[in-house]
Amino acid sequence: MAKLDLSAITKSFGATRVLDQVSLSVPDREFVVVVGPSGCGKSTLLRIVAGLEAASAGEVLLDDRPVSQLSPGQRNVAMVFQNYALYPHLTVAANIGFGLRRARMRRAEKREAVARVARLLEIEPLLNRRPGALSGGQRQRVAMGRAIIRNPAVFLFDEPLSNLDARLRMQMRSEIRALHRAVPTTTLYVTHDQIEAMTMADRVVVMNGGRIEQIGTPTEVYSAPRTTFVAGFIGMPSINMIPARYRGDALELPSTTLPVPAAVKPRLAGHAGRDLLVGLRPEHLDIRPGGDGLVAEVDQIEPTGSETLVYLDHPAMRLSARTAPDTALSPGMQVGLRLLLERASFFDAETGLNLVPPPSNLTGELTA
Amino acid sequence: MTDTATRPIADAPPRTTGARGGVAARLASGPLPWLLPAVAMLGLFYLYPVIEAVRLAFTDARLFDTETAFSMRSVSSLAGSSTLGTILRNTLSYTVASVVGQIALGLAIALLVVRAERARLRGTLVLRTIVLAAWVIPAIANGIIWQLLFSEAPFGAINSALRMAGVAPVAWLSDPGNAMLSAVIATIWQGTAYSMILLYAALKTIDTALYEAAAIDAARPWERFWFITLPHLRPALLVNAILILIMTLNMFDTILALTGGGPGRATEILSLYAYGTVFQNFELGRGAALSMLLLVISLTLTALLTLLLPQERR
Repeated sequence: MAKLDLSAITKSFGATRVLDQVSLSVPDREFVVVVGPSGCGKSTLLRIVAGLEAASAGEVLLDDRPVSQLSPGQRNVAMVFQNYALYPHLTVAANIGFGLRRARMRRAEKREAVARVARLLEIEPLLNRRPGALSGGQRQRVAMGRAIIRNPAVFLFDEPLSNLDARLRMQMRSEIRALHRAVPTTTLYVTHDQIEAMTMADRVVVMNGGRIEQIGTPTEVYSAPRTTFVAGFIGMPSINMIPARYRGDALELPSTTLPVPAAVKPRLAGHAGRDLLVGLRPEHLDIRPGGDGLVAEVDQIEPTGSETLVYLDHPAMRLSARTAPDTALSPGMQVGLRLLLERASFFDAETGLNLVPPPSNLTGELTA
Repeated sequence: MTDTATRPIADAPPRTTGARGGVAARLASGPLPWLLPAVAMLGLFYLYPVIEAVRLAFTDARLFDTETAFSMRSVSSLAGSSTLGTILRNTLSYTVASVVGQIALGLAIALLVVRAERARLRGTLVLRTIVLAAWVIPAIANGIIWQLLFSEAPFGAINSALRMAGVAPVAWLSDPGNAMLSAVIATIWQGTAYSMILLYAALKTIDTALYEAAAIDAARPWERFWFITLPHLRPALLVNAILILIMTLNMFDTILALTGGGPGRATEILSLYAYGTVFQNFELGRGAALSMLLLVISLTLTALLTLLLPQERR
């Protein structure tokens, strides 16, 4: 149980700056997911918290106590590795119990502790096996068992699900969440998968190029992205970015001009004449005859069962829309589009920043 | 070709066409043709000499005699030989000390190099190359180099250094008690490179995440070695032990150049003794019998070590 603070963490490998002034506060028991494309520095950040790498500058604080001078073993953190890093020559029981080697416990107590963790993770029948004889999901559980048993201050997960198949990944997502409910521990979870970020996190930290782009609840980063990067990274299919210019209470879009709804006007105030980007989620783009005067050609149709994704070509951009599954569209059709501008995010095309900055949430207080 | 056209087409592309290919194809699908070249080479250059040595062991053959007769004398003369007892004791202490020394030192250097590489230190390549350089030197040259180093004449490098440090010179090669130690040192110096490379390669295959997991689990250095490194190295260590054991048992050129087996018989090991028996005493039959003894010892020890190898990695 602990509060984790990162203050202005910077890390350089030679001339390459991997992390640039990264600050983050994780309150006790919060589940924070750090998400970003590969190479954004998220794993390095995790390794710095674990003590496996040293920061070039900045400080890691656990319960307001600086830990940068402590070795990984002294920090009381537990980590689940991408490839699980189970000791292949030890049994599952010995793997889980490894962290208790020097605990002041009787042998029977240790065995009981291992059994308790095994029960929690439903791996009791596997205790005498070696990791080599386990499936990917079972190894994953053993790795978590090894982490839980030490009752660490902070849990660190380094892309723990990326070696599993899609179905198992979904199952483990909810199991990790359930585990966090059962054993509420401050957690830093690193992934490149935005679905994991959205489904598991109390708060999401979106990173890009060694910097934090946005910190917020899953809903916040989805519906109020701070930058065009966050808007594009979160959400599948990607958000539609429509170039626009605000002039005289109307938005000039490629090949059409739309009146701006009254509710949206305050957001655009003061940005007249500037180049903007209208970020519109696929579910906020309606395909309907006539539409708003924006016409595009249907390029591809992807039925997923519960809904159908439609990819559209417009001379100025590529768009995607979410429609009901019973759509009568077919590739090559010209369709009219209606934009739900009330739900759109507006970005400055030059800076890539949202015109209405979302709450910064850097302090780490849960907004619920 | 016409009959192939009427046959139903198999799902795999046909490997041969026409009836002529039938026999060749059948042969090619069996193991025999593939094994034959290797069997012929091994038979000619390895098996035949061994069989010939067995035959010679049961004769009274002398090196320059053409007349030989079958006899048990060569073999039976070994049974009660007190010289052979000395030789076997020498062989045992030389082999055990050299093998253990080569593995231990090779492991130590390999661990050092891997550790230095993880810490991104410079010069690990240079270190590896320097260690390997010893392996490149022919064994006989190695013997001569160490003879110069150990030399008790004024130019002897080690004694000169000792003298400069104010330590009394040591009779490295002329004292029967020291000679074996000197031979072992020379052998270890050269053979360490081999162990080092083999164990270095094995160490490189260990997933570094395991050491990181151990670091987070607050494992001490000896625990990391004991729970991660050593179990991973077990197969490599055993294979290494087998190879070094065979090489050391058969080693004779280094000692030949260094001490010639002396002083007295202080450093005379089985392979050197067999050599002397044949090429100095011309007793071909007896030498062949000694070689057989060496072969039996090598095979037995190899078989014992092989039993320890994990059958399959779990």
